[in-house]
Amino acid sequence: MASDDGSGSHLPEKKEEVAAGAGFDDLEDPRFQCCVCLELLYKPVVIGCGHMSCFWCVHKAMHFVRESHCAICRQPYNHFPSICQLLHHLLLKLEPVEYKKREKEVLEQEKSVDTYSPQIIEFLNSKDNNCENGEDGDSKLEDNISKTTPEVPVDNAINGHPKKIKLEDVSCARCKELLYQPAVLNCGHVYCMSCLPFLDDEALKCQVCGGLHPGGFPNVCLDLEHFLEEYFPEEYESRRRKLQFGITQCTPEGSSPGTFCTKESMNRPSKQETYLQQNRDLSNVHVGVGCDSCGVYPIQGKRYKCKDCTELVGFDLCDECYNTRSKLPGRFNQQHTPDHRMELDNTALYGSVLRFQRIPEEGLIAELAFIGPGGMVQVVDDHEMEDNSEDEQV
Amino acid sequence: MARGENSESHGSGNVPAAAPAAVGKQAPAAARGADGQSVVRRLQSELMALMMGGDPGVSAFPEGDNIFQWVGTIDGSAATAYEGTSYRLALSFPSDYPYKPPKVKFETPCFHPNVDTHGNICLDILQDKWSSAYDVRTILLSIQSLLGEPNNDSPLNTQAAALWANQEEFRKMVEKLYKPA
Repeated sequence: MASDDGSGSHLPEKKEEVAAGAGFDDLEDPRFQCCVCLELLYKPVVIGCGHMSCFWCVHKAMHFVRESHCAICRQPYNHFPSICQLLHHLLLKLEPVEYKKREKEVLEQEKSVDTYSPQIIEFLNSKDNNCENGEDGDSKLEDNISKTTPEVPVDNAINGHPKKIKLEDVSCARCKELLYQPAVLNCGHVYCMSCLPFLDDEALKCQVCGGLHPGGFPNVCLDLEHFLEEYFPEEYESRRRKLQFGITQCTPEGSSPGTFCTKESMNRPSKQETYLQQNRDLSNVHVGVGCDSCGVYPIQGKRYKCKDCTELVGFDLCDECYNTRSKLPGRFNQQHTPDHRMELDNTALYGSVLRFQRIPEEGLIAELAFIGPGGMVQVVDDHEMEDNSEDEQV
Repeated sequence: MARGENSESHGSGNVPAAAPAAVGKQAPAAARGADGQSVVRRLQSELMALMMGGDPGVSAFPEGDNIFQWVGTIDGSAATAYEGTSYRLALSFPSDYPYKPPKVKFETPCFHPNVDTHGNICLDILQDKWSSAYDVRTILLSIQSLLGEPNNDSPLNTQAAALWANQEEFRKMVEKLYKPA
């Protein structure tokens, strides 16, 4: 990879970094702005609908009892996606000064609440800084940008300007070519839309990390697509032509990759839907507790809590991830290891109560009510009511 | 990850929970302080954008030196019963803004099917349809368009809702009750 940098390109690259970094606030339509904090995206997380926000901006906006909704399009989702490392590195290279500033600010806030976003990437960052033009450190650590990109042309000096972003920084985890209609999986890895149907598993199993993507096909991440279209106009156009040609050759109907995927996702039974239906029953919801492996939030059903993790945020797994012995690190930089002891935990469960109410002319009405963890139930024994009109714990 | 146990408790996110009464634990003071900072930053960016953008007919500015308390102004759109009128609104931002919506009230009396006599507004995006991607600008523009297109199915002011069909009479009532500050 180091050879891709070209010799002597370090100096102009540095100059441009400074110029671009200072200009973020001045841009009329700032690219990659978070719609929640209105600042440069930091540790971007892409939801299944293709919209993105900062790690904390998504997590704080998630509903801790029910399904969450995208802030932009309101599409419901249940899983807190992992940070998209490809976008993280892209932003770090594109807006190094501003991105570093954001990093400092966020870290300060994290310190004040003693809960941290994944710091594995932080390690990559520092690696980046140490060897100045960190591509070398990057590609070794970064598993989704694979080493196998020999056919990628050296695009350092298109139009006479050295480009900060290289093609291999934005390549598909499957075809290794420039991402075309990029879609981000729950695990944060990025594929061309047309590559998704080729993933092994029914449930969209990521080739890089083996993570399963819940809730049908993700949408194209339009912000990233527009950036690629603008930044690599020729390459993007050639990818478009190549893919359209390929499709018309193998499928006589000549359907575009986009429609192919939509059909596919409509046929498959939507996990999302079944989850939403279950979600109406609050009795097995662990309020405000998410799974550190798949990111489902809140956990429904069995919750396994780590007895050995000392972090404030704790380490929890849902039933499914506990049974598959997921070895993924925690979502909040917990120092969890596979030899830690896990135990079933019900402390964040809703208590359910059958509430009886006497309504004149309609008689006695029983309804299911839920009490938050730690909540109190006051039994009101109204003398005007009949004997059985008291609250009863179920 | 457990939010109830750490200090990130933020109420209910984009869509408020209807059923549960007592959920989550109180955020410690440290968390509020840190979040308060990011709320201030977000409100400052909004203010900057509003001052630079200049949408016709809507404006807003913090009241005094409290950035959590704003005063907004909306001009009635042309070709509606509100043409030529201008309304003052009070916006008050919670400490978990933008995950929770601000409280918005009319300060200038407003005769409208979805505004009550105290100035409270019935608008879905200020309640259960709130999203953290909305901002002061979109709120004010939404209220501005609500003026010309009321939702007469769930009125707060039934008299106004009943009168809406007769635009001439409606306009008279708007003018009669209009008391600019």
